[in-house]
Parts: sequence; structure tokens; C-alpha cells
Amino acid sequence: MSALHLAWRTVRRYRAQTLLAIAGVAVIGALLFDMLLLSRGLLLSFADLLERAGYDVRIVGGGGMTLRMPIPGSAGIADTLRGLPEIETVALVRILPARVAGRNGTSVSAALIGVSGAASGVWTIVRGVDLDRASGEPCPVIVGRTLADALHAAPGDDVRITAEPAGVRSALPPIVCRVAGVGQFAFGGAGDETVATTLEALHRASGEDRAGDADLILARSRADAGAAAAVAAIQRARPGLAVYSNDEVLEQFNRNGFAYFRQISLVLSSLTMVFAFLLVATLLTVSVNQRLGEIAALRAIGIGRRRVAAMLLWESALLVGVGGLLALPLGELLALGLDRILRQMPGLPEQLHFFVFEPRALAVHVAVLVVTAVAAAAYPMWVTSRLPIAATLRREVVG
Amino acid sequence: MDIVRANDVSRVFPMPAGPVAALRRVSLSIGSGEHVAITGPSGCGKSTLLHLLGGVDAPTAGSIVFEGRDLASLSEADRTRLRLTRIGFVFQRFFLLPMLTAAENIELPQAEAGAAAAARRSRTRELLAYVGLGERADHLPSQLSGGEMQRAAIARALANRPALLLADEPTGELDEATSDTIADLFDRVNADGTAILVVTHNHALASRASRRLAMRSGQLVA
Repeated sequence: MSALHLAWRTVRRYRAQTLLAIAGVAVIGALLFDMLLLSRGLLLSFADLLERAGYDVRIVGGGGMTLRMPIPGSAGIADTLRGLPEIETVALVRILPARVAGRNGTSVSAALIGVSGAASGVWTIVRGVDLDRASGEPCPVIVGRTLADALHAAPGDDVRITAEPAGVRSALPPIVCRVAGVGQFAFGGAGDETVATTLEALHRASGEDRAGDADLILARSRADAGAAAAVAAIQRARPGLAVYSNDEVLEQFNRNGFAYFRQISLVLSSLTMVFAFLLVATLLTVSVNQRLGEIAALRAIGIGRRRVAAMLLWESALLVGVGGLLALPLGELLALGLDRILRQMPGLPEQLHFFVFEPRALAVHVAVLVVTAVAAAAYPMWVTSRLPIAATLRREVVG
Repeated sequence: MDIVRANDVSRVFPMPAGPVAALRRVSLSIGSGEHVAITGPSGCGKSTLLHLLGGVDAPTAGSIVFEGRDLASLSEADRTRLRLTRIGFVFQRFFLLPMLTAAENIELPQAEAGAAAAARRSRTRELLAYVGLGERADHLPSQLSGGEMQRAAIARALANRPALLLADEPTGELDEATSDTIADLFDRVNADGTAILVVTHNHALASRASRRLAMRSGQLVA
């Protein structure tokens, strides 16, 4: 007849109290779990987006990662990079505002992305084929899903694209492009319309010459070199370039862009932990106060302090443990709902998530609940360990 | 041979209005196999004396010697162990654990004493039959009558074969007929070799004892 057995029978006997405690811990635990998912969710999701693009090194203009500025002499830089043994692939990316018109006469503003070479990963083909498989087409395009819906465009259809460079009143003639595929863009926001084509086609649309500057140069390091070595090699070859590995990009965003979420989630998860502690500690203390006579009698008949304390600790662990387990699916459901709401914020990539599961979040959730269970049991354990047996028995009889 | 001896013990409780002397220089010894009853009005110090003899309270002055060992010289853990193995407690309000069955309540002190599961079950069956609750083994205390609960509590007190059974108003919550059953049971326990000290208002129960003592204002008067 272990302390766990006694605790189990106790929580079963006081059902209403037990259900109340478990429900409370489940709700509070769900919030805690969500805060843990939120604390690193954006970072993990952003890392996933970067990884999925298939490039681990980024070269940007003078404005750094957050301000998009053209990189002077992009084509020359790309040629230099291609000659480095640490680099496997290089792609230039140019982004311009544009208008895209479909056969149905609908005209929509969109971001026109021009990419040199294969840029698999920046978008995922949903229908049709990728740019590199649209052989012979002078202007193949990948149209974003929502843009395709708006234009009623399908693979094989023609669309007319008019580049509208920022700050320039555009009088550029439209060019006719053929839809090679419909895709989902990794960095496209909800409501943002995007169309991608080759860099050559973008140059034709914008009137820029072939040596036009890119906004972003992507590079993939060789597996045996790694991103850090590739970054170092680029900086040696072309000093003064703003070159970042994916890890460095993440670190920058972690310091600047995502710090708010981390701080908010830290504050809220600390608060939820305090709520869980207060709830369980209060219920256990009330329960112990109701059972002081029983506990004094147990001590009188020779049941040791340790067993009584262990019983209370197990009671706390059972309440917090079961509540904490129920908190996981509840928190997951809540996270799905909250994520859906938050992702509607304008300007965010559609595939960016706020709440992302990782084993570390689960481990922290469990660790925090263990600490909560022990802390919540500490006061009732202290009360029973110092319980004056004779005085309590006397009070119980007189009462 | 004495099982327990109180040597000139006093017990003073500090109270906001000033200290209250519950016991004043009481000396008492209980021998092996004795059946002692202490009667007296409420608040005369009967329960306090019983708590001191059972090692759940400590005297302000004097000493309690149990089987030759001064309780004051024992650690808290040793006193707990002594209560577990050498003393049985029976309370007015039974204090059975409500979430355990009658059998489990009786098994609990045996488990605490380290008895093997098979030995516990055997001893529990034996005790349930002894107190006439063989058919009620799996009932929760809430499913037992007051008399049955007290019989289960007596069986629990006997679980580790104590040398001394201390009973504090064991019939205080029972009707007359049920009290007689409990008194019969105490007689049987005593006849089987366990010393008993019972403090009670119940003169019928006290009359069963081989030695009757009375208390007034914290002192033994007879």
C-alpha cells in the first residue's frame, strides 16, 4: 500500500475537487503549452521557410535583411560566387511591383519575382510545371494560387504583365507571358499576389538591361563546405558585401523581430505557472485542512511523516499530471485556432506559423508542471509535517 | 512487568489567557495484560494523559517510560515506529481512512511496518473475523455502521500485535447496545493478552476494567 496508492484513492474519493483541479490545470496548462509553442514558433517556422528555399547563404543590398535595396553589380558578383569551390549554386532574385492581366480582362497588382536559374523551394508547384521545365517559352510564369483564381488562369493560359518600378511612373508596354504552373509562394503573405518568372523575362518587362541589379543573391553551399565556410569565402572574394548564412539571418530576426513574442510568452507562461501553482496549492491545502483529523490519526497510529508527505506529493502530481496531459491536446487545438487568427495579419508570409511544436516545448511543459506539482504540494506537506498530533485530535473531538 | 509508566508527569498548555495545567504530577503504570479504565469529567485531563502515554504528546515535566525506554530520549522517527509496532490507538471518531475499505484500513499499519503482502492479507482476514467483520472486508467506512467502524478501528489498532491498546472514548459516538459490543470486544482483546487503557465517560465500559481510576482537575484521585 504505497503512498501513490493512497493518493490515487484519495483523488478518486474527492471526485468533484479532483475534477475541478484537473480541469483548471488542463486549461492553464493549455495556455502554458501555447506560450511555449509561441515563444519559438515564429523562429522555427521562419527557419523552416529559409531551409525549404534550398539556399543557405543570402547576399543583400546595403539596407540589410529588413530593407530591400538593389545590389550593384549583381551579375558580376554571381559570376564570382560560381567560381568559389564552397558554392554549389547561385540564384539572383529581383522583385518589382507589376500589374498582371488575365484573359478575362481582370487586372491585379502583384509582386513580380524574377529568378535566375532554378529557384525550387521559393515556391511549391501546385498545378502545371516549374519554370525550368517550360522549355522554349520566352516568358514562362508561375502564378500564385490566389492570383490564378482571380485571373481564372491555368497552366497554358497567357497573362499580360506590366512592370511598375517603384518611384517611376510606368509607361512600359506589357509583355505576354504563358502560365507554366500555379504555385504557393513560401514568403507570400495572405492577400499578397505574386507572379514569378525568369530574370530575363523580368528584364524585358522592366526594360532593365541584363546586368540589372538583383535585390537578393541566393547561394547554396556545398555539403562538404557548409554555410559558414561559404560566407567566409564570399567575404574574402568580395569584401564589403552584406552576406548572411541562414543561421545569421535567424539570429538577426531572433534579436530584433521575434524578441517581443519571446518576452510576451515568457511573461504569460510565468503567469500561467503561478495560476496553476495557486490552484493546486489552494485545493490541496483545503483538502488537507478538511482531513487534519484523519492525518493526525494516521500519524498517531504510526504512519510516518514521509509517507504522509509522499501521499500529498503524489496527490499533487496526479492532479497536475492528468491536467497537464489533457492540456496537450487542448493546447494544440487552441494553438491551431490562434495561429489561424494571427496568420491573417497583413504582410506575413502565408506559410509562416506562430505556434510550432518542438520536442523542447514538450520537455519544458513537463518540467514546468513537475515544478508546479512539487511547489503546490510543499505547503500542505509542511503543514502536515508540523501537525501537532495530540492537539489536532483534541480539536477534532471538541469540534 | 510495566509496559508503560508515567513518572510525576505534568502537562501545561500555553493559552492566550495564561497557561492551563491539564495534568499535575500524575504517576501511573500499566502492567502487561492489564485492563485499566480512567473516568472523569470532560476536561479533567484523561485524553491528555492517554496522549502522553501513547507518545503523541510530550509532558511539560516528568517522564514517560515505555518498555524501559524514556520516550523523551527517542527521536521523532523512533517514537513513530514505537506507536506503529507497540501501541494501538482507538479514537472516539474512529478516523478510518474514508477512501480505503475496512480491510485496507487494517492493512495500512502492517504495510507501514514492512509486512509482506501475503502476511498482511492473512493477518487482515484473521482480524476481520476476530472483530466480526468478515463479510464487510471490502466495504468503505461510509458503508459501515458506527459500531462496525469502531470494530474495524480496533482491528486496525491490533494489526501489528501491540503490547498496549489506548482507547480514547471508544464508545463516545455509539448507542448503548453497540457500546456493549465494543466492551465485549475489549474484554476479548485483553483476555488474549493485550494491555488496555481506556479513558471514558461510559461507566459500563469502565466497569469491565480490572483497575478503575478517576481523574479530577488533572490529577488521579482513585
